[in-house]
Amino acid sequence: MTLLVSLCVAVIFGSAAYLMLKRDLIRVITGMILLGNAANLFIMAAGLRQGSAPFVGSASETSDSLVQAMTLTAIVISFGVATLVLSLVYRVYDSHHSVDLRRLGSAEAVQASLDDQPTGQDIRADEAASLGVTEERDVGVSPKGRP
Amino acid sequence: MIIALPLAILWFGGLGIALLDGTRKPVGFTAVGVMLAALAATVTLGVDVHANGPKVMQIAGWDAGVGIALRADLLGITFAVVSLIVLTTALWFEVSRDVKARIFPGLVLFMGLGLTGLFLTGDAFNFYVFFEISMVAAYVLASYGESPRQLRAALIFIVVNLLGSVLFLVGIAAMYHNTGWLDMERIAGFSSLIDQNPAILTATIVFVAFSIKLGLFPFHFWLPAVYTGTRPAVAAILSGALANIGSYGLIRFGADIFPRELHEGAAVMLVLGTISIVYGGVQAIGRHSPNEVLAYSSIGQVGYILIALSIGGEAGYTAAILYAVVNALNKTLLFLAASLRGWVAGATFAVGAFSVAGVPPAGGFFGKMAVFQVSIDDGKPWIVALVFLGGALSFIYMFQLYRARFWINEEADEATTRGALGLVVAIALMIVAIGVFPEPLLSLSQQAASVLPERAP
Repeated sequence: MTLLVSLCVAVIFGSAAYLMLKRDLIRVITGMILLGNAANLFIMAAGLRQGSAPFVGSASETSDSLVQAMTLTAIVISFGVATLVLSLVYRVYDSHHSVDLRRLGSAEAVQASLDDQPTGQDIRADEAASLGVTEERDVGVSPKGRP
Repeated sequence: MIIALPLAILWFGGLGIALLDGTRKPVGFTAVGVMLAALAATVTLGVDVHANGPKVMQIAGWDAGVGIALRADLLGITFAVVSLIVLTTALWFEVSRDVKARIFPGLVLFMGLGLTGLFLTGDAFNFYVFFEISMVAAYVLASYGESPRQLRAALIFIVVNLLGSVLFLVGIAAMYHNTGWLDMERIAGFSSLIDQNPAILTATIVFVAFSIKLGLFPFHFWLPAVYTGTRPAVAAILSGALANIGSYGLIRFGADIFPRELHEGAAVMLVLGTISIVYGGVQAIGRHSPNEVLAYSSIGQVGYILIALSIGGEAGYTAAILYAVVNALNKTLLFLAASLRGWVAGATFAVGAFSVAGVPPAGGFFGKMAVFQVSIDDGKPWIVALVFLGGALSFIYMFQLYRARFWINEEADEATTRGALGLVVAIALMIVAIGVFPEPLLSLSQQAASVLPERAP
């Protein structure tokens, strides 16, 4: 049983790590959710013991109720975080029209080159306009229909 | 009851404020008032603990060892007070300028709740829950401003830190499996009985989890990307308050729960700390945008905490606590002051810069001197040289930044209001006061370190 559970944890953890290395944000998020589940299974495995339901005063060997309480809490937390992350991904999609990490990375690179003007020779607004750099120092398409 | 009081104030205050429109000034100032009340309650608790020793409170009246315990000792209280000071300042700073999102004040209160809770809890799993409360608040805060860049920063922040949280959860499960307890004091009591291999593995997992929060050298990659994008108040919160989780976690779980493994891993920590100091300093010199310089500076500064921790013993722990406290104040001051303009802001920034470099009138000098002392006592003169080198590097990048921000580029990012200036002046005065009268903080750190067991031989 212990071997089976540890194999399960290993496979889920491995798939999660694989997904998190992908370029597609949705896959990254799926990987994060899977990772949370691997951790939940690991907590269950930390108190793995067969037995009856843990009621007060039960004579026979009971299962460990504490790990179940911990897992339940961890599940709730990972649900909440998953919701938050998904909504954030939506906002990123809204402002970049892409969930591809390469696109986001190139937006970051443009931003960095704007930031990295040597100090003392900061491009002024008129020079910037001639270089085709807009006053808006944030790279990315601004969300449509938002104030 | 008194231990739960700051938590209750922050929880109910946070719930109330979260329902209101935080962009309105009265709501913002109410939130500042709630923070100040929680700070006052925590300080009162601290005075009590200082006079009468650690306090324990069993939640819901369970027998000791069955339920969750809140435990207030000086180590936790010190970190709680510093974090609340930083959060209050950052919140007040933002309110005195312009709050951009209605949820901002509520989120700062919830983060205060999470931080105070984890510094005052005595239960490992409860620690994780409070940790997640503050992290979730931080995830949302990282996207505060909601420009495309801040959204990207928040995404990086969440993905990396979620990985850290999951690792920490696995570490707690491993501790429970190996000792059969979740109560931190009891885990500490049994940790020396765990077999060598599982103990090392568990300690390593916990170390990695907290190093990710702290932004230590091999785990630092997320930190510049996040700090560069965020607004100054949020950057101050992340580096001044949230990073305290990392330093407190390393001290509590390292020195208190796994002293044997801390001793065995001391060489690794020494190396990582050294690389952090040099890498952070050199990278910071090569950067131009103020938040990026300060982000790399944070990577360098946590190296000192790690070195002090790896030397260990009561003097080493004292130095680590002292450095963590001073560093939190420094970073808050620098991030906030760098976004302001005028000679007052320039002067306060200079105080912060001197403090980071360890120049005498500022508080940072005593942090560096504490690290000096332990390294000389420990017979490691090369650490003294390293601290000098780190100080020299930070002097260079801080001066570059000062020159770029206050001498050459006179345009402000946003309004420099009188309230915002007053706050940075207050923090700067606090740092100078620590430098001029170091005795109270020094003895406080010493007493906080005395709750930790002496290093295992």
